[in-house]
Amino acid sequence: MDATSLTFYFLEALILLSALGVVLVSNPIYSALFLVLSMIGVAGIFVSLEAYFVAVIQLVVYAGAVTVLFVMVIMLFNLEKEKKAFSQGFFSLLLRVGIIGAIWAVVASALKSTFVNLTPEDMPFLDNGGSGVKVLAETLFTQYVFGFEIISVLLVTVIVGAVALARAKGGTHA
Amino acid sequence: MGSDLVEVLINSIKIVTIFLIMVQVVPLLVWVERRGSAFIQYRFGPNRIGPLGLFQLLADAVKFLNKEEFVPKEANRFLFYLAPVISLVPGALAMMAIPFSVPLEIESLNLFGQQWGPYSIPMQGAVIPMGILYVFGVSSLATYGLLIAGWGSNNKYALMGSLRASAQMVSYELALGLSVIGAIILYGSFDLTEIIQAQMGSLNFNFMGGTYGIGFLPNWGIFYQPVGFILFLTAAFAESNRLPFDLPEAEAELVAGYHTEYGGFKMNLFYIGEYGHMIAASALVVIFYFGGYDIPGFTTESLTEALSAFASTPTQLSLFVSLAYLGSMILKLSIFLWIYIWVRWTLPRFRYDQLMDLGWKTMLPWALGNAIVTAVFVFLAHYKG
Repeated sequence: MDATSLTFYFLEALILLSALGVVLVSNPIYSALFLVLSMIGVAGIFVSLEAYFVAVIQLVVYAGAVTVLFVMVIMLFNLEKEKKAFSQGFFSLLLRVGIIGAIWAVVASALKSTFVNLTPEDMPFLDNGGSGVKVLAETLFTQYVFGFEIISVLLVTVIVGAVALARAKGGTHA
Repeated sequence: MGSDLVEVLINSIKIVTIFLIMVQVVPLLVWVERRGSAFIQYRFGPNRIGPLGLFQLLADAVKFLNKEEFVPKEANRFLFYLAPVISLVPGALAMMAIPFSVPLEIESLNLFGQQWGPYSIPMQGAVIPMGILYVFGVSSLATYGLLIAGWGSNNKYALMGSLRASAQMVSYELALGLSVIGAIILYGSFDLTEIIQAQMGSLNFNFMGGTYGIGFLPNWGIFYQPVGFILFLTAAFAESNRLPFDLPEAEAELVAGYHTEYGGFKMNLFYIGEYGHMIAASALVVIFYFGGYDIPGFTTESLTEALSAFASTPTQLSLFVSLAYLGSMILKLSIFLWIYIWVRWTLPRFRYDQLMDLGWKTMLPWALGNAIVTAVFVFLAHYKG
């Protein structure tokens, strides 16, 4: 076994075990921390594929910002009741297994339809150094500009909605 | 890791050395901070132990190691021990990407009956493509150290402190990232070494087909990106939780924030993490806006020529050039580390709502504006009618 596959198996084990930890551990704080570990593992996989830009974005956006918010929100609320409800009984186990299954199915089908018959030449944005980012930007802002704009509109809507909700409920910074 | 045994060895030594430099500079900085604060506030500071009070550092280290090993009764032991380590690691990882000097070129030599080299040893922990993004990526993980510390010590003040800290760091990360976009557009690269190379020589630029220059100024980013520089420096202060942004540990309101329950060596690890962040942030400011290891008035060629009188072999010459650039980088770095300390003992702390207003309502729009204006100017500069 060479170094590349050793890294791959190590990272895969890290990702899978911590992903299992996310759904199987009953304390939500630990769940969120396992999620961070799993995200870092995914970033490591991107690094081993030499897709450095994607790896770093994975770190900055998912591990660094999104999950920090999860952890903060979990810390702010006292989740004793919810913790009990979700960590006991047959129904909650069924629910968890169902959720894992559903996510698994979505991811697997997405991967199956995306990466069929794809060669590295089809993905020039995975190139090392600056040129990869340039290709990625050009693809994003020409070929997929409609999707990009739709997503930004969606995000603006979400922000406005969140502010409106916070104001309606009489937030601290009204 | 390297093509042969020597390179692997050199790379390993380099990584350990850079980590040790970071850890060893911290006591020195603490000394400078205490003496500097005393100087600013017209006091004496630690001046009793050894010359200039320098041995105070050793005494402090011994004290840190001898303190009682203490974990609060209701605290989560695992997280309580994990947090100081997590806050140390991102600073150390970020330091690995900082280029301190030009690569050291070693000619091939015959040793132990075998041909070795030639080697080119980059003066940084690891050559990382997209260095700046990597630094942002790993330092964004520092938030978890504070969050886990606050949660793990099972203390109201610690939890409040850590929530404040993480909210502040997430908010200012945006301003930090956006403020540097102008510079990245200008240099057209994510690679820290390329960014430094772009700033070598005297001030000159192309605009609408013509070339303009001011001979006596260096070609540094500060002259193109003054707004970006101010925003980046401010956001870097906030990211390393230094005054005037040290709300997370506001001792008047929160005892000591997220590290209320920590003492001894665990507390020291938080300190090293904070100073490590400071060093990495200062290095980024130097690289982006003050030419990195560039020496004003010299290009690499003219410096090599000037130093060639003192060196007898190309390896020696390369060593001298590397050392000269290293000295320049360290000098600039020290100036910015001093500015960090200076500001800490000059400005009062913000109120929390002022902090959030500054981050979201002032710095974010200015950073966005800076990026857009820079993009327009770079487009015009490349536009040839």
